Amino acid sequence: MDQSQLRALEALCIQEEMPFCTAACPIHVDARGLMACLAKDELREARKILDRTMPFPEILGRICDQPCRPFCKRAEIGDPLAIGPLERYCVSVTGTVLKPPKLPIKGGAVAVLGAGFSGMTAALDLSRKGRPATLITARARLGGSLPDRAGALLPPEVFDQAEATLKGYGADIVKGASLDRETVDSFLEKYDVIYFDWDDFDRDLLPFSSGTTDPVTLALEQKGCFGGGGVEGDKPFSVMHQAENGRRAALSMERYLQGVSLTAQREKEGACPTRMYTVTEGIPRASEITAASPIDGYTAEEARAEAARCIYCECLECVKKCAYLQEFQEYPKTLVRKIYNNQAIVQGTRSANRMINSCSLCWQCTVICPNDFPVAEVCHATRQEMVATGHMPPSAHAFALGEMEYTLGEDCALIRHQPGTTASRYLFFPGCQLAGTYPDTVERSYTYLTQHLEGGIGLFLSCCGAPADWAGQSELFSDVLSDLKTLVGQMGKPTLIVACSSCLAIFGKHAPDLEVMSLWQVLDALPLPEIRFDIPKTPLTIHDPCTARYQEGVRASVRSICAKIGLPVTETTIGAELADCCGYGGLMQFANRPLGGKAADLKAGRSTTDEGLAYCAMCRENMVGSKTHMAHLLDCLFADPKKDPLTRARVGLSGRHEQRARLKARLQSTLWQDPAESSAPHRAIRLEMDDEIRVLLEERLILVEDMQKVIHQAETTGRYLHNPANGRRLASFKPAVVTYWAEYEPADDGFILHSGYSHRMQLPEADS
Amino acid sequence: MSTFSFAEATEWRCAACDQPLQPAKVRVTYLNSVFNVELMVCPACDFILVPENLATGKMLEVEQLLEDK
Repeated sequence: MDQSQLRALEALCIQEEMPFCTAACPIHVDARGLMACLAKDELREARKILDRTMPFPEILGRICDQPCRPFCKRAEIGDPLAIGPLERYCVSVTGTVLKPPKLPIKGGAVAVLGAGFSGMTAALDLSRKGRPATLITARARLGGSLPDRAGALLPPEVFDQAEATLKGYGADIVKGASLDRETVDSFLEKYDVIYFDWDDFDRDLLPFSSGTTDPVTLALEQKGCFGGGGVEGDKPFSVMHQAENGRRAALSMERYLQGVSLTAQREKEGACPTRMYTVTEGIPRASEITAASPIDGYTAEEARAEAARCIYCECLECVKKCAYLQEFQEYPKTLVRKIYNNQAIVQGTRSANRMINSCSLCWQCTVICPNDFPVAEVCHATRQEMVATGHMPPSAHAFALGEMEYTLGEDCALIRHQPGTTASRYLFFPGCQLAGTYPDTVERSYTYLTQHLEGGIGLFLSCCGAPADWAGQSELFSDVLSDLKTLVGQMGKPTLIVACSSCLAIFGKHAPDLEVMSLWQVLDALPLPEIRFDIPKTPLTIHDPCTARYQEGVRASVRSICAKIGLPVTETTIGAELADCCGYGGLMQFANRPLGGKAADLKAGRSTTDEGLAYCAMCRENMVGSKTHMAHLLDCLFADPKKDPLTRARVGLSGRHEQRARLKARLQSTLWQDPAESSAPHRAIRLEMDDEIRVLLEERLILVEDMQKVIHQAETTGRYLHNPANGRRLASFKPAVVTYWAEYEPADDGFILHSGYSHRMQLPEADS
Repeated sequence: MSTFSFAEATEWRCAACDQPLQPAKVRVTYLNSVFNVELMVCPACDFILVPENLATGKMLEVEQLLEDK
């Protein structure tokens, strides 16, 4: 990612866009922030917000005509916020807290003719910028028409305060000036730049034709002259319009004095549109709290209650749904910036590595985002870059890649024509996880397919390469896919019948030349088997896998099959194209185990009934728990009468590892009658352990087979430690990179495992 | 380079040599980094003990730190 790509991505995320009120405010007062402070009774902080943006808050805060109000999102679920009256409350109960700084004097003779609120604002802003202004009015006081219009709302002392403020910033104030055309004409000579406030300055006194005013800069046709304020067309008088014009003119005049462009980058000045996206669904309605005494305004209690109605407009639509973004407390804009910074580190700790590797690459956020922010694409591309530049932490995906290699290897992989045939029209591809989770179901569904499809249906036990792709291992992934395509080619290019949505997505995207069909769509078109388990009376909640997000036909077939077999089902609160990942996608649960658990819980929590139905093996594995009953649809169709699909135990990493190899061995012997191959001697070691130890091994990503290897090595070489106090043994073995340790004791016909752990740090090779 | 000691009295004995373990300096390495540490080792055959709390604690912490360098 380079800087221009970063900027383009950042621009897609709208979380930092102005809320509707701020965008609609001509001077962009942070009304949302103000409401938050007032709701918490943090009056000083509230006042700071006004002091920061408003010219003369003691005046403007009392009489703001709240042009923001029609844009307040609260209106969709109640009445819009009474922002004006709340500002009035704030300035009534606080004095100035924050005084914006005054910049060093830069020179330039500046005059403001007319001391209405726009003239006062222009004089204030210019004086703060280091261009002390001379503010000239024919009246005996400041404010132009304001004091007459506002009446009792504005106590006279606020104008004294304003005068003091102006003088404090170095402005010169001339009241009661006798102005005629000749005097004004002389000002054109005397001053470099002049602002005319139409609320307080009589246009008839202009020594030149006022002509048209530039709407962006407020420049008049006369060089160095600017004009604004007063009443705009036939609109009613607006004090906010005065403030906006004064501020806009001050910026133009400053730029004029600097000799730079008056028009560049002024799009967000004044009331402007915002791309903010806020969903109000689910927020309870609330009506406006009005002041019991309109003359006195809000009491403290009323103000707090009214401010608390603010819904603090923001987007965060993706974050609301995604366990990953919630975990790292990021929204896409901040996330990509962290990723960019992480990649820029030359020396030092790349502290965002874990974050980059924790995304499930599921695309849910992209579907939710009004601008389709591609978080998955960014995380995936970054992983590829990390691998390519040698910055991928070796342990992040080692386990999953090890399992992939094992699945592709001779222990598990198999590709055969249907027994008794020499050609295949179809090739059943159950996928690595289904084969590991439900080997019996895979066998029964294969047999069923062979009975119902013509033209020969081969079997292909392998892996689509998704783990390599998710890990950012582009080369490895490409090799896996290329080998797979070669094998399919050698089988005569049959059509793959694919059970897993992830495999289907991978083939669709990366191997478009392969003929593939979803198992669910194939089954939906066939007569379905007789159901051999007690169909529940209450509906099961269907959990779509995240990889079926773009597989509408698959999702429809699954529902059609359920209807045909009379399995009552209902939908999740969020599913279909918005489905969450269970934690397996993107190898999330390997790079970040605790987060994987949270993702599974979040997905399971979308259920609308007590029991669920998955059609992805990993969804079922991750969501099934002591409290959640969850069936896999294939297991419902081809149920083993002895095992209830809803309550079958979770298989676990070691179980899946073991069953993949056993499935191959069994099918070779039952279907193809091959002589049994001898398996590695360590596999014969009988190992008992408590459930607690099983869980510990899972958490540490250690397979039971790893422990068998340690014990086999120790017992055949006699190299182990011994604890005479309890008879236990402790040994280690390093098959490749990781050193595994097993603490165990001999039992009758095997061993009892008491603990297992591993490390990647290398010890010096000991003499044996 | 300073040596950190992780040597702690232990009931583990080397089964092959029938020896109690003794503290000894060991060079452990990971991702181009070398650390001199003191661990419990069999004085006869150099069997090195990495106790569970070390492997899942400090050692893991350092491994992860080095992986993010």
